[in-house]
Amino acid sequence: MVDIVFWIIVGITIGSAFMVVQSKSLLYSAYALLFTFVGVTGLYVFLWADFLAVVQIVVYVGGILVLIIFGIMLTNKITSVNISHASVQKGIGGVVVLGIIGVLGYMVFITPWNQLAATEPEQTSATIGRLLMMDYLLPFEVASLLLLGALIAATTLSRKEN
Amino acid sequence: MSNLHSLTHFWPELILTITVLAAIISDLIYRREESFKVAWWVLGGLVLTLFAIQIGGSTVSDLFMGTIALDPFSEFFKVLVLISTIAVVLMSFNSNELKDYRMGEYYSVLAIMAIGLFLMASAIDVLMVYLALEVVSIMSFFLAGYLKKNPHSNEASLKYVIYGAFSSGIMLYGLSILFGLTGTTKFIGMQTAIANLGPDSNLALILSAVFILAGFGYKISAVPFHFWTPDVYEGSPTTITAYLSVAPKAAGFAMMIRFFNQVFGDSTALVSETWSTINGIPWPQLMGVLAAVTMTVGNMVAIQQDSVKRMLAYSSIAHAGYMMMALPLMSEAGVYGIMIYLLMYLFMNLGAFFVVIYVQGKFGGEDFDNFDGLGWKMPFVGVVMTLFMFSLTGLPPTAGFIGKFYLFAAVIKAGTQYYWLAIVGALNSVVSLYYYIRVVKHMFLKGERSESVEMPASSLVTILLLAMALPTFILGWYFAPVVTWISESLVIFQGM
Repeated sequence: MVDIVFWIIVGITIGSAFMVVQSKSLLYSAYALLFTFVGVTGLYVFLWADFLAVVQIVVYVGGILVLIIFGIMLTNKITSVNISHASVQKGIGGVVVLGIIGVLGYMVFITPWNQLAATEPEQTSATIGRLLMMDYLLPFEVASLLLLGALIAATTLSRKEN
Repeated sequence: MSNLHSLTHFWPELILTITVLAAIISDLIYRREESFKVAWWVLGGLVLTLFAIQIGGSTVSDLFMGTIALDPFSEFFKVLVLISTIAVVLMSFNSNELKDYRMGEYYSVLAIMAIGLFLMASAIDVLMVYLALEVVSIMSFFLAGYLKKNPHSNEASLKYVIYGAFSSGIMLYGLSILFGLTGTTKFIGMQTAIANLGPDSNLALILSAVFILAGFGYKISAVPFHFWTPDVYEGSPTTITAYLSVAPKAAGFAMMIRFFNQVFGDSTALVSETWSTINGIPWPQLMGVLAAVTMTVGNMVAIQQDSVKRMLAYSSIAHAGYMMMALPLMSEAGVYGIMIYLLMYLFMNLGAFFVVIYVQGKFGGEDFDNFDGLGWKMPFVGVVMTLFMFSLTGLPPTAGFIGKFYLFAAVIKAGTQYYWLAIVGALNSVVSLYYYIRVVKHMFLKGERSESVEMPASSLVTILLLAMALPTFILGWYFAPVVTWISESLVIFQGM
């Protein structure tokens, strides 16, 4: 039963990700992205990463995706213009992609991964919080610097020059 | 070291962070026309940081629970980053391209980028590696596109974003494979775990190393991850091109040396024989081929350029190739050679770009034709540029020669199996002579001789060019103190 659910989630994730790149309309791509994000959330749940799953929904679906859809809808005429994905050499590209998938898939199956004991963790948010404030304090702080820089950059680039 | 104790050793980065905040706040005070004054705040902060590094002493330790390392090796690269940042900030005053824009954000983002470069040079945790790389990348996307009204600059920024996102994505995938194998994000822990892996993990290890190499290769613009370089370098404001060609490259090499030395290497010494045998794949040969291809492609395409700026962009790929020659050795002499070369390269390359900025402001272009007769009109600029070109080729008695000398010496000393690499490098230097001398030819042999002689109008330009030219010249024959300093800096944190 669990296996079936897992493969359904995997199917949704990959299928909708394929839709994102294949759809001719930008808006459809954005909607397909919704299912990709939800699928990834499902994968997090399977990994017992409950906190991460909730954050994924709140940030990616609730925040980023809504922003993308607003961006598309509020941009003049972008919905009516047929944004064609000018993919060239689909044949060769497909062969290369299949080759890479083959190698990576083979690698995933033969490698003895470093596995944790399969026990359900009691709490994840507290552990994540402790890690962020202890072991990974510096990356946590640097991320805020990165965001500050990205904010400055985004406002400057979008500001009207007169 | 615990987080609280680490703070006492973290002054340089703290000062830089305060500098960023001070720059942002001071930008609010200044009006549009005087927004360039933010640069003085940033400059002050950078100089203070330089002092803080000097005062800091040479403790060797990890900081912040093992996320970054504090060692003379990272300090050397921090000094390199600071020198180039200070030079670029000063040169930005004289850039014609930047005149129409508000400058506050430019300088504050430059300071943020410096922090990112600091962290790149000292990261010993893959999470920190990735984050530092992203800080530097995102700030450079912005700076590359700073000339909003210039379509080339927009193009540069967009191409940089796409390539950057792609290569950091690939790198992240490689890092995640490595994490899956070892179960830790720390370099040292990874090394121990890798040593205990069975042969079943070889494929995963190889793939992860290749993917991670894509991320590093993109940062130092090594072939085949170099495709963004010419367009980004051409479209960006020339001050930023100069910066991108020196500072992130230096930090990228630092990160790469540290990563491959510590994760795939031997913890006891810089010399690592295990690296070549770790999974039966001839890594040194592979890296050697990559180095040879990088310098050859860079040089061959540089020959065909009509724009000096674009020529310098391709030649910077070639220089990355020269330095990569020493990577497969993974020996102390190799790292030593790279460090010396980077220092020499900093002065000569920044100097060459500064001349391009000056010529661009004066004659409105950066093609070879714009350099016609420059040597007669402005002997000072002409002579200085000639010096930079000779040094970039590696002719004695310039700094470039010393840099190449140490690099080639390291390669030859490593044994007969690397002779071919040294020969390819030497042949490439000969090729590079052609296009570097072409600049000199345009300056002195083309165009009419003018009777009147001109000096740069701004004394700041004169001082800056001298500040780049004097080391380029003096380090060509008096390099003992620098070489000693670098050999003292060759202490890499190897775990407690």
